[in-house]
Amino acid sequence: MTIVIYGLLCAAFVLFTYRLGRGPTLSDRVVALDGMLVAGGTLVLVDAADTGDGSYLMVAVMLTLVGFISTAVIARFIEGRSE
Amino acid sequence: MIGSIVVLAGAALTLLSAIGVVRFPEVMARMHSLTKASTLGYALVSIGVALQLSNTNDATTALLAGALQIVTLPLAANLIGRATHLTEGTRIEAIDELAEARERQRDAPG
Repeated sequence: MTIVIYGLLCAAFVLFTYRLGRGPTLSDRVVALDGMLVAGGTLVLVDAADTGDGSYLMVAVMLTLVGFISTAVIARFIEGRSE
Repeated sequence: MIGSIVVLAGAALTLLSAIGVVRFPEVMARMHSLTKASTLGYALVSIGVALQLSNTNDATTALLAGALQIVTLPLAANLIGRATHLTEGTRIEAIDELAEARERQRDAPG
């Protein structure tokens, strides 16, 4: 069961990476980067449940916050670039 | 056991959102796929992980991560969607309330 969950999440990560490289616009890349952070945070959570050790759970919380703040900043950047 | 089933459902939703991000034809559609499916997937994973962890401190941290993701992912999608709309527009033909609102704002005196 655990190996299936890891496989699904790693496949999702690889697909997001494909979209990050492919583009074609900056917004596409930001969406892909956000998805990679979501998949990475999910992997941290699954690892905590797998090992029973919650030491790294704060990393998942921080990844959530970093994902939101970086997306907001890049959205501001895209908006400002048009004017 | 029920925890790992919930986690499996969440992981499957995350993979579905990734497939949508790769396959959909346009930025707005990709963002739609990422936001809706990933938010539910992350929430399910955090609930399932919290069910599996025996330490209360760890379980509440997992739930905190899930709650933060539920709050922030739609907000981030809104910001990116707005910025994309202002700079590149959208190819999908639908009701465009943001363009109408900006039109009204431009025409308004002052």
